[in-house]
Amino acid sequence: MRTVSRSGVALTVVIVAGLAAFPFVFQANWVVNIAVFTMMYAGLATAWNLLGGYSGYISLCNAAFFGVGAYAIANLFPTSGGPPGSTPFLILPLLGLGAAILSIPIGWVAFRTRGVTFAIVTISLLFVAQTLAFLMRSFTRGSQGMGIGVPRFSVATYERPFYLALLAIFVFAVSVCWYVRRAKLGLTLFAIRDDEDRARGLGVDTEIAKLVTFAMSLGITAMIGGVWAYYITYIYPQFAVDPLITIGMVLMVFLGGKGTLWGPLLGALLLVPAQRLLAQNASTARWYLILYSGVFLLVILLLPRGIIPSVQDLIARLRSKSDRDTSPPAATVPTVRTEVVP
Amino acid sequence: MRLFVQAVILGLLAGGVYALMASGLTLAFGIMRVINVAQGVMIILGAYVSYTLFTHFGVDPFLSVLFVVPVVFVLGVVIELVFIRPLRPSEREELSLLVTWAVALGIEGVLGLVYSTTYRSTIPSYANAAWRIGGFAVLQVQVYAFGLSVVILAVLGVVLAKTRFGRAVRGTVQNPASAALLGVDERKVAAIGFGLSVATAAAAGAVYGVVTPFNPGSHYDLISLLLTIIVLGGMGSLPGTVVAAVLMGVSQALLATYISPTSAKLTFFILLIGILVVRPQGLFGAVERGKL
Amino acid sequence: MSAQTLLEVDGLSKRFGGVAAVSGATFSVDTGTITGLIGPNGSGKTTVFNLITGYLKADAGTVRFEGERVRRANPRRLYRRGLSRTFQQARVFPEMTLVENLVVAVAVPVWALGRRGISRADAARAEELLDRFGLGSHAHRKAGELSFGQRKLLEFATVLLGRPRLVLLDEPASGVNPLMIEQMERHIRDVHAEGVTFLVVEHDMNLVMRLCDPIVVLDHGAKIAEGHPADVRADPAVLDAYLGD
Ligand SMILES: Nc1ncnc2c1ncn2[C@@H]1O[C@H](COP(=O)(O)OP(=O)(O)O)[C@@H](O)[C@H]1O
Ligand SMILES: [Mg+2]
Repeated sequence: MRTVSRSGVALTVVIVAGLAAFPFVFQANWVVNIAVFTMMYAGLATAWNLLGGYSGYISLCNAAFFGVGAYAIANLFPTSGGPPGSTPFLILPLLGLGAAILSIPIGWVAFRTRGVTFAIVTISLLFVAQTLAFLMRSFTRGSQGMGIGVPRFSVATYERPFYLALLAIFVFAVSVCWYVRRAKLGLTLFAIRDDEDRARGLGVDTEIAKLVTFAMSLGITAMIGGVWAYYITYIYPQFAVDPLITIGMVLMVFLGGKGTLWGPLLGALLLVPAQRLLAQNASTARWYLILYSGVFLLVILLLPRGIIPSVQDLIARLRSKSDRDTSPPAATVPTVRTEVVP
Repeated sequence: MRLFVQAVILGLLAGGVYALMASGLTLAFGIMRVINVAQGVMIILGAYVSYTLFTHFGVDPFLSVLFVVPVVFVLGVVIELVFIRPLRPSEREELSLLVTWAVALGIEGVLGLVYSTTYRSTIPSYANAAWRIGGFAVLQVQVYAFGLSVVILAVLGVVLAKTRFGRAVRGTVQNPASAALLGVDERKVAAIGFGLSVATAAAAGAVYGVVTPFNPGSHYDLISLLLTIIVLGGMGSLPGTVVAAVLMGVSQALLATYISPTSAKLTFFILLIGILVVRPQGLFGAVERGKL
Repeated sequence: MSAQTLLEVDGLSKRFGGVAAVSGATFSVDTGTITGLIGPNGSGKTTVFNLITGYLKADAGTVRFEGERVRRANPRRLYRRGLSRTFQQARVFPEMTLVENLVVAVAVPVWALGRRGISRADAARAEELLDRFGLGSHAHRKAGELSFGQRKLLEFATVLLGRPRLVLLDEPASGVNPLMIEQMERHIRDVHAEGVTFLVVEHDMNLVMRLCDPIVVLDHGAKIAEGHPADVRADPAVLDAYLGD
């Protein structure tokens, strides 16, 4: 039974305080710019983990809802409307709610399949969303792109409000994950991950659980898309609905540890700064895709369970070893090694 | 009515090529439970190789198939050995999707480095030649591409039906455990099968560039189409794949004719949603609904 | 016996491609019995379970539970109506602890999904059940670490949380060591004594003959005999079915 442990609370306080202090300690615009993207991916990956990590359903359409959020902000705060200040941040909860509602009929159809077919159906949804972003010109202006009112934030700390907004969403996402994990919903999702058919035979409300989780995950994703659009101030279909964003969040979750609370953050902290530096440098940008693919392959092949679970295993093994070492001498006599190769 | 017939003809021709491209995906899924997201980029790779052979050495795109197929076959075998084999069987389906997506990104990146992202097309002398039959105009290359697809599919069909390798493949698809007991070397079947599944697609790719302009990112257009086709076909059924591919080709052509060419881009979506609502197991009924 | 019928299966049929797995199976389970369902391998017993519990859709035939026709059988709804089952392969949730395995089977209404996963009452109930099944010392281990026999016990304990009226057991003793078979038998009898009806598929004939009455015999998906253990054992058709293959 997981209860609120004191060390867990302390860890959370330290992480959140550290993240909140960051832009006040490191003020250079380029540094905070990287921090903005890191926090963006931390939130996206955490939201992905809610469904993907807990229930095992690999949804690849999250970037579509990122785009939904982005275009919603672009339509609400067009360039012609003048500088919107902090209003876009304030309407994010409504935006998230709207996107969550929108995701329910989509999820209803997608969840008629499972396993790898679900993943394929959601990939298709992603490509459809990208096509729609090009086609629905009245909502997106198609390939010519769409501007958003530029805020008049002070130049020296221009990035800070965006960073803090993304941090707030990230904290919200982590809180949702934390809450879900200890609620009946979490148990239901784990049961779905382990054996969905059996769960149905035990009276578990699998359909509702999946839909609710899908909606929460995508609602958060859309809010992040909204902040991104406001930060970028000019969006194009190929960047607002970008398969690389989906792949990015999945990669970070796998790297940090699927189904862990802080794994997605860890994955983002490790990958996004490197990714931004690469992408911004013209000489390395051409290698960007190749390196990205290389990192992804390495992570999945060498560390398929992610860093946090692997480290936890290591600690557990070291502990049981030291237990053995301190046990009566008879047991420490050089004996047959009983280590099991995983 | 004339418009309708014209659209159906075009749709059938395109559907035949889709069938070739998608049957490799079905084969790989059937044998190894692997979803190969890199199938699209293999087609584009085939298109680039053929483009290079044509522009530098004047090799006809249909002839370059003979070069493209073995090259991509070897590449496929290597990908299987290095990236797919290490995946644990219990996680293979889902992880293979991500791994092959990463492979696709890598190859897309390499193609971008070599060829830049400019759109290319291969334009042999007969690129725009058309036949008029009974008042219906048909581009010759489309007919050739269709013919090539039918021939390769037929060869594939014969290989699966008649050869020892084919029997091993079918055995593995139906029941991996008992196939292994009967002496089928599952690992060899997997490697060769995967090589074959991408090589056949690349054959279609060699002539793809004659019909459609392409750049390294074009594989996304292809893969979204192909994945939809195999879901419609019921995941793992070759006849289902062919039927779904033709259905896709024809409905795309009809939508393009009667509504608009841009709306045709959404055909696969409309078909997918429609079928999933009515028949979640796909047209031919094998889409995974969980195991008992 | 003036018992009343709890489950009524009539003309149930299912084909897989060319194979007729179940063809016109007709039998009933009376309230308060431990009914046996036996037959050679591949005679369609598991498929019958899958059809009754809604894991498969029947091609033809009807199922009535507590006198009411089951339309569009759905495992979740049937469980909540008091009909639950175990699987031949001893399915548990391997990455969840034993307590979690049990608690997830406490059917809660949708709006309670946000409630605390394992309340104190849940935990107490689960641990009590685990103690009863001799699994108490593993309560906080992952179910995947259990032996096959222990999983069978856990799976059986799990379905009891739905307060079932009828439990379908698919080979509760297969692949289990003799000691554990005895345990399993005792648990079935205990639960039966509390008023739960059973339909048991089992290959261990000694166990079936001890435990079940009446016994229904399937062959090639159809009923070939039905009656008290002694009668069934003496039935030439049954001998044929078992020896003929
Ligand atoms: N999902 C399935 N697909 C195809 N054939 C099946 C399936 N399930 C069972 N069968 C076939 O149906 C027949 C009955 O199987 P089953 O019900 O498992 O028998 P039993 O449980 O009595 O051993 C067998 O011939 C088996 O091969
Ligand atoms: Mg059985």
